[in-house]
Parts: sequence; C-alpha cells; structure tokens
Amino acid sequence: MRVVRLLLVDDEKRFTETLGKRLVARGLFVETVNSGPEALAALESRPFDVVLLDVRMPGMDGLEVLRALKKAHPLVEVILLSGNASIHAAIEGMRLGAMDYLLKPADLEDVLAKVEEAFEKKKVAEERAKEDRRSRGLP
Amino acid sequence: MGFSRWWREWGRGRRWRPVEVHRDSRAALTLSYLTFKDLITSNDEVLEAIADLEQKLQGDTFFGMNYIRFRCVTAATHTYRMIANLNKLSGRRYPELPVVFSQIQRAIEAVLEKGRHRASPAGPWVLDFAEVDASLHDRVGGKSANLGELRNRVHLPVPEGFAVTTDAYRLFLERNALHEEIRARLIHVDFDDLDSLQEASDAVREVFLEAPLPPEVEAALLEGHRRLSERLGRSARVSVRSSAVGEDGEVSFAGQYVSLLNVTRETLVEAYKKVLAGLYTPRAIFYRHVHGIPDEDIPMGAAVVAMVEAAASGVACSVNPARPEGGTLVINGAWGLGVGTVGGSVSPDFWEVEKEGELALREARLGSKETSVEPLPQGGITPVALDPALGSSFCLTERQVKELALLVLAAEKHYGKPQELEWALDTLGRFTLLQCRPLRISARQEAGTAEPPPEVAGHPLLLRGASASSGTAAGPVHPLKSLEDLPSVPEGVVVVARHSSPQLVKVMGRVAAIVTDIGAPTGHMASLAREFGVPAVLDTREATSRLEAGRVVTVDAGRGAVYDGRVESLLQAAAPPLRRSLKGTPVHRLLEEIARHIVPLNLTDPRSPDFRQGACRTFHDIVRFIHEKAFEEMFRLSDRVTDAAYRSVRLRAHLPFELYLIDIGGGLRRPPEGPEIAPEELRSEPMKALLLGMCDPALRWWEPKGISLTGFLSVATESLFTPVHDAAERRLGDRSYAIVAESYCNFSSRIGYHFTAVDAFSSENLSRNYVSFRFKGGAADDLRRARRCELIGEILRRLDFQIERNGDLINARLRKFPRETIEDRLGQLGRLIVATRQLDMRMGPGAPVAWYVEAFFRGNYLFDPDAGPPAEAPGGAP
Repeated sequence: MRVVRLLLVDDEKRFTETLGKRLVARGLFVETVNSGPEALAALESRPFDVVLLDVRMPGMDGLEVLRALKKAHPLVEVILLSGNASIHAAIEGMRLGAMDYLLKPADLEDVLAKVEEAFEKKKVAEERAKEDRRSRGLP
Repeated sequence: MGFSRWWREWGRGRRWRPVEVHRDSRAALTLSYLTFKDLITSNDEVLEAIADLEQKLQGDTFFGMNYIRFRCVTAATHTYRMIANLNKLSGRRYPELPVVFSQIQRAIEAVLEKGRHRASPAGPWVLDFAEVDASLHDRVGGKSANLGELRNRVHLPVPEGFAVTTDAYRLFLERNALHEEIRARLIHVDFDDLDSLQEASDAVREVFLEAPLPPEVEAALLEGHRRLSERLGRSARVSVRSSAVGEDGEVSFAGQYVSLLNVTRETLVEAYKKVLAGLYTPRAIFYRHVHGIPDEDIPMGAAVVAMVEAAASGVACSVNPARPEGGTLVINGAWGLGVGTVGGSVSPDFWEVEKEGELALREARLGSKETSVEPLPQGGITPVALDPALGSSFCLTERQVKELALLVLAAEKHYGKPQELEWALDTLGRFTLLQCRPLRISARQEAGTAEPPPEVAGHPLLLRGASASSGTAAGPVHPLKSLEDLPSVPEGVVVVARHSSPQLVKVMGRVAAIVTDIGAPTGHMASLAREFGVPAVLDTREATSRLEAGRVVTVDAGRGAVYDGRVESLLQAAAPPLRRSLKGTPVHRLLEEIARHIVPLNLTDPRSPDFRQGACRTFHDIVRFIHEKAFEEMFRLSDRVTDAAYRSVRLRAHLPFELYLIDIGGGLRRPPEGPEIAPEELRSEPMKALLLGMCDPALRWWEPKGISLTGFLSVATESLFTPVHDAAERRLGDRSYAIVAESYCNFSSRIGYHFTAVDAFSSENLSRNYVSFRFKGGAADDLRRARRCELIGEILRRLDFQIERNGDLINARLRKFPRETIEDRLGQLGRLIVATRQLDMRMGPGAPVAWYVEAFFRGNYLFDPDAGPPAEAPGGAP
C-alpha cells in the first residue's frame, strides 16, 4: 500500500518539527515548510496527498494558500489547523474546499485519523479522474 | 453501464443535474459511500458538541470562552460539512440549507463578538481623584472609583492620586492588536494542568511587556504624574495598582491583580504595563475561569496613588468575618507598608472592637512581627528586620484603634453594607484609607461560631488558629514547601503552608482544607477561601512543624481547630459543601445565548409538514433533518442501481425479518451472482458482528409465549390506528436494509414498530472506530414507552455508550474503542434490537426496569420471569 505523502505547513518551526517527527514515526512521509509561498512551491515540484495547513501565518495566511492550492491542485486534500477558534475562518476554509478544520492543540490520534480519511478520499478521487480520462480515450 | 443510465434517468426532467456523469459505477458508489460516511461522522460530532453544551448549561462544571468558541467551531464546521455532503449525495437538492446555516452562523458570531466592536476608545486617559466617584466605576475600575467616592462623597482621608481609565487600556490593546494574541495563547490552557496555565500566562505577559504604550497614553500618564507632584510639592513616589471593572465589586478578585509600590516617574510607564499584564497572572486567569468571567475585554483601569510614608498599615473589616453576628469590627496591622498583612507573610496585631457605644476593645492580640516592609530610596520595596522591642509592641495605640474604627464605620455607613479597607498610618500619626471594597462573608452557612472547639474523645485537638472561613473537612496532610509545588498538590488533601498566599487560589478547587502557620483572616487568601467555601485555619504558628505529611486530620474551620484523624461527628454536623454554580456568570449567560442557536430541536417529527429545510432554526434542526434525508438519498441511489454488482441483494439468514444489503466496497467476498446471498458471503466485519448478535439462538423471538393480554392489546390497538405515511417509510417497514463495506456497516430497520439504525466503523485504528445507535420507539402506550427508553438507555450505558435521550428517541454513541470491543458491542446491539420487540409485550407496570436490564445481561432475552440461572455469560458469542 502506498504511503501518505503529507505536507505540513506552519510558521511555528517548533510546531512543525515536533508534529512532523511524530507523524514520521507513525509511518507517514512528511515534509515541513514554514510559510505559504514555500508550501505552494513544494506542491509545484513534488506530489503530495494531504496538506496540514496552519490558518494564522504572517504574510500569506492559510486561507489564501488554500485558495491558490485548490486552484492548482484540486485533488490534494487539505486539513486546516488553527490555534484560533474562529467560526468564520473555519467555514470560509470549508467553503474553499478544506476537508476539515482542527483546533490546536490537536490530539495526534485525531490528526492521524483525519489524514487517513483525507488520503482515502484522495485515492477515490484519483481513481475517478483516471477512469474519466480513460473513458475519453486519454492516456 | 447500467449505473450511468440510471444516473442520467435520474437527472432527466429535473432542474438540477449531477455535476458529472460517471461511467464507472463503482467509483461513484464508493464516493457516495465516503460522502455518506463523512456525513454520519459529522452527525456524531455535532451531537456530541450539543450533548456537551447541554451538560455545561447545567452550570456545575467550569468552562471559559475558549471552550465556547471551540464547541461553536466544531458544531459549525460539522454542520456545514453535513450540508455540503448531503448536497453532494443528492445532486444539490437542498439549496435552502446553506442559507439557513449562514443565518444561524451570523447569529452565533454576533453573540461571540458582542462588545468587541464598540466605538474606538477616545479618552480621557487619566482622571485626577478629585474628578472621580463611584458613578465612574465603568471608566476607571473599582479601586479608583471607591477611592474617589471616599474622598469626594464621604470626605474620608485618601491619598492624592489619579485614575488611568479603561479607555487607555483599550487603546493599548487595539493599537497592538492584542486580542487575538491573547486568545491564541490562552487556547492551550488545560485548567487541570497548572504548568500549562503558567506557560500561557508567561506568554501573554511577555506580549504585554513587549507591546509599546500608545504615545498619547504615555503622555497623559506623565502629565498626571506632573500634576500630582505639583500638588505634593515633590517628585511623587507612587503605587500603581490594578483597578479592574468588577474588581472589588461582588466578585472580589482579592489580591488577584498586581500592585507595584514605590514607583518613580522613570518607572511609571513600565509599572503601568506590568499592572496591565497582571490581568494574566496564572491565578488571575484561573480565578476568572472558575468565576465564569470571559478572558477577553476585561475593562482594566489603574490607580496611581501617592505613597504614604507609613509607620504602620493593615486591613480592617467592618464586620468580623469569623463571627458576623458578633457586632464587632476587626483590625489587623503591622509596622511599615501594608503588603505584609495583606499578603500574609507576618503575623499581624489584631484588635476586635465593639461597633455599638464607646467602641470598646473586645480583644487585642499582639502579633509576631519579625520584619516590616519599607520603601527603598531608588524605588521598590524591601523587607527589613524589625528591632525586637518594636516587633513585640502594638503598632497602634488604643486611641488610634478607636480613631480608625470610626473611619471604618463611616465607610460602612456610606455603602450600607460590610466593607473591607486597607489603611495606613503616616509618620505624623494621620490615617489614610488606601482601598475599600465590599466584605465577603463566608460562602458556607453558619460562619464561625464563637464557642470554643469541643473535646472529642479519641481525637486530640492538635492545633488552634484563626478562623478564615467556616466549614469542616478531613484529609491527609500535604505540606506545601514552596508555591512552586502548587501544581503537584493532589486532590482532597489538607494543605499545610508556612504563609497564607492568594496564590493558593489555584488549588482551592481541589483541596479539602488549608492550614497555615502565619496569616490573617482579613487577608486576601482568607477572602478567597470564603469565596470558594474552602475551610481554612490561619495563624496556628506551628502547623508546619506539628502536622507531618500523610497524617489524616479534621479541620473545623469555623472554630479554628484541627483534630487528629477523621472526626465523623464534626464532619456530619457540618453543612454540606456549597456547590459552586456558574449560572448567572457572564460566561454562562453567553453560553445560554449561543446555545439557543445550536441546541434546541424543533424538527422532531419527520412526518410533519414542518419537517423541511426552510424550517430549520438551529444546528440541531439542520443535523436532524440531514440525518433523515441522507438515508432517503442512499436508498434512492441503491434503488436506481441497475448494475447487478451494486444492486441490493437479500440475505439468506435465520432472521425474523427480511434483510437487504448493498455492498459499496469490499463488504462481500465476491460480486453476488443472484438475488440472494448466504451470510458466509459477508466480508464486512461490523456487519458480521451485528448479524451474529441478531441470530443468537437464545432470542427465538418469533416464538412468543405468555404474553400479558393487556400488553398485547395495547400493541395491537396502536398499530391499527397508526397510519403509515410516505413510501420510503412503508418500504422501511417491510424490509431492513444494510449498506456495507469492508470496515463499515449501516443498518436500518423497522422491527415491529421500532425504528432502529446502527452505523459502525471498525478497523485496527481505534481513533476512527465508532458505533452509533439510534432507536425510536413506536406502539405501546406512554408508560411502556418511557420504561422501554429507560431500559434501553440503561443497557447501552452499561455497554459504555454515551446516551442522549429525547422523549421516545435514543441516540447512543461509542467512539475510539478497539476493534474487538466495537464488534462485541455490535453483537449486543444485534441482540438488543431483536429483543426489544419482546419487551413491548412483556413490559407491564410490574417488574422494575433494573430487573429487565439484569435479564438482558443474563441472556434472558425473552424476559421470561421464570427463566432459570444464566444461560450464558454476558456478552458471549451466540
């Protein structure tokens, strides 16, 4: 079975490092970046299945990143992470196509369960896209 | 390609159309399955949030603003997800739901943001005490308002000074965008973990100290200081003290905020910021948390007060808190500045004065004053060793005590209720009042009685001290070496400390009692102990040396006594501990306002014409509506599947009803070849577990015997008069359906007159595992229904389910259990579902509900009153 390729985006270095390590220990392929533009650049050059995205970041915030990300990579599943419980941001995030909105500090098991769910979704969506292409005689 | 055909057919003639037409039915069906499962998971999340909100509404557990925000976000996110998923599942047949949702969302946000968007702060930033009285409480905070009131309305001596307004603080917050910063840092706080409280507090205070003061506020502060110095005729040394709105009011906040003494002009700005940051000391955060005061937007002022060259200072209460009925007032005092007495680090002199007549001295007790607190020339304060001769003499003469008593009585008379005052005596022998606030008498009934502690046989009286509060409690002694050890203080102990300290508030929620060597019943800690209803005995002189760790003692705080062992006679005689309630606090009121948009369920009857999307008024309504419709959509979907592999098949099993299955991904061993399959073909683990339970031979439900006639009649009669409504329901009436996948099953059925739904996921990852069970009764009369609900609820509780009951409806959830447990519970649910039909026949007004519960767990699923010993172990496989 394929391993989940996860991109972890948060401006707090300490946070990405700790969470990243714990997720790697649980068998995920994890790459961490600390800003929105870095995240988009990473997605341009390498494939990811799921993005764990912080909402509050200086410069380009999580929702802006989400918007750009979904435009360029509609199949990538995004889970928002936020230390700030704002209904507005949460619903805006869902509207922009995020799969869920988790509040920090999140339980590792909850994060893992969400990532797994997102990965499952992504695989089905990919399969559909493949079938679709095949049926239209595309490679 | 049957699937795409039905899909096209389904879309024909409707306004809406499926977004895409898929040739691959398997992927499409899998997607609907994922969508459906998502929807059910979200349903559970919202119901859990609702159940939790309802529990918090009871007011007996603590929560703060972060809790409310957190729950609102969970409820909103998952409600939104359910709407999106239902629309995905149905091809956007529910366009009104997002509109209704947005309205509710806006209403909730409006409550959460209330008061956040007031007009910008406009000043003035400071007000001289000459311009202040109690009417300005909201603009200058409690301390300044009371000082101004004493000065200008009661004409009592108070120091020169000025108030820094709450507007100044608001401007500081606004300029530095501190609201968000504070909230982000406080969200990490776990109130059971004092270390996390300390961390969050440090982080917030750091933010405060780094943020610059707006220049106009800084200028006003320095200008205020200049005017003050002009009035005094020298560069003023001041104390800067917190003056929060609400502080010194009904909720005392005693000693919870910061006062800085002997501040110079050079350090004034820094001191002011420190006082502001004092809003976020761990004990202040904790204090607000347990009092239900939101952490954001606390209007905070400051009092800048000229230092009094104090020869002596202390605290006075216009009523003796230990004996409120005694008609006396009490005064505490020590040499030097007052921090010693108030903070509890010296044992002060004590006077008790009769309030009537000649103000006769009832008692004068000499304290042990080894140090005094003195100002330093360069600013700041320091403890200084006292000349032993001075230390062992009273800091006030009898005449001075009477003079002070008159001031105390004047303040009490003005406010019309008992007051607590801080006083200072300057080097010229003049009194000044530094603070005045309402006195809180013990939260427990019958505050301290005057009688001496009784002798108790077998329980030596170990110690006597000053009663700081009333109440009696017992527990093992826990010596507190240092305030840093507070986080590790266990529950239910008697804390024994050298000094009393307001910091102890952090453990007041969990300790049995507090005993100290040194400390005054008029100090801050004592008023907190009264407020929290914690028995406290202070000033015992030798508690730390006499009480060793682990010894069980009984603290009779009202009589200031500590006994050896558990003295049951005293404990039983004591009034039960007062339960603190959050009801009526600002945070609780806010929760009530918000819960109105989330919790109530108006859409209770799916058959009613009001069961429609536009009629949803709360998140609960939306969720209930969607849950109902999602099932309809799933069956609509499977009915249309013409591709044999995904059509429903009948299960050939030894069941008292017909069961049709739809496999949406790995639920069967192989694609079905005919219209029927054998149970061995099932691969879905949760479905297998449920089925095994339902097929338990001990159920034999279709062989009823010994039915009570009235029971049978009441079932039969009601069924005759219960009309069958729409087609979907009729169908569910004939058959039971299950949607299965490898790790998932969704079963819904009517057996007899009960609607039952089970939704379960069972895998090796326990975080994703859950069972959700829903039962709606029918038939039978009200009494039977009620008893049946009670019974089912009790059985489910015993099986670790979380229950939510609403009239005839039971929602039960079990989450995050290992696979084995999930499957065991599914088996029990299977038995319960089939057994409940028996129940209606059997459940007369006779045997108590508990009997039926026992019968079920003994395997007596027929509820046969004559059944012998247990046929099998509870939970055993059939």
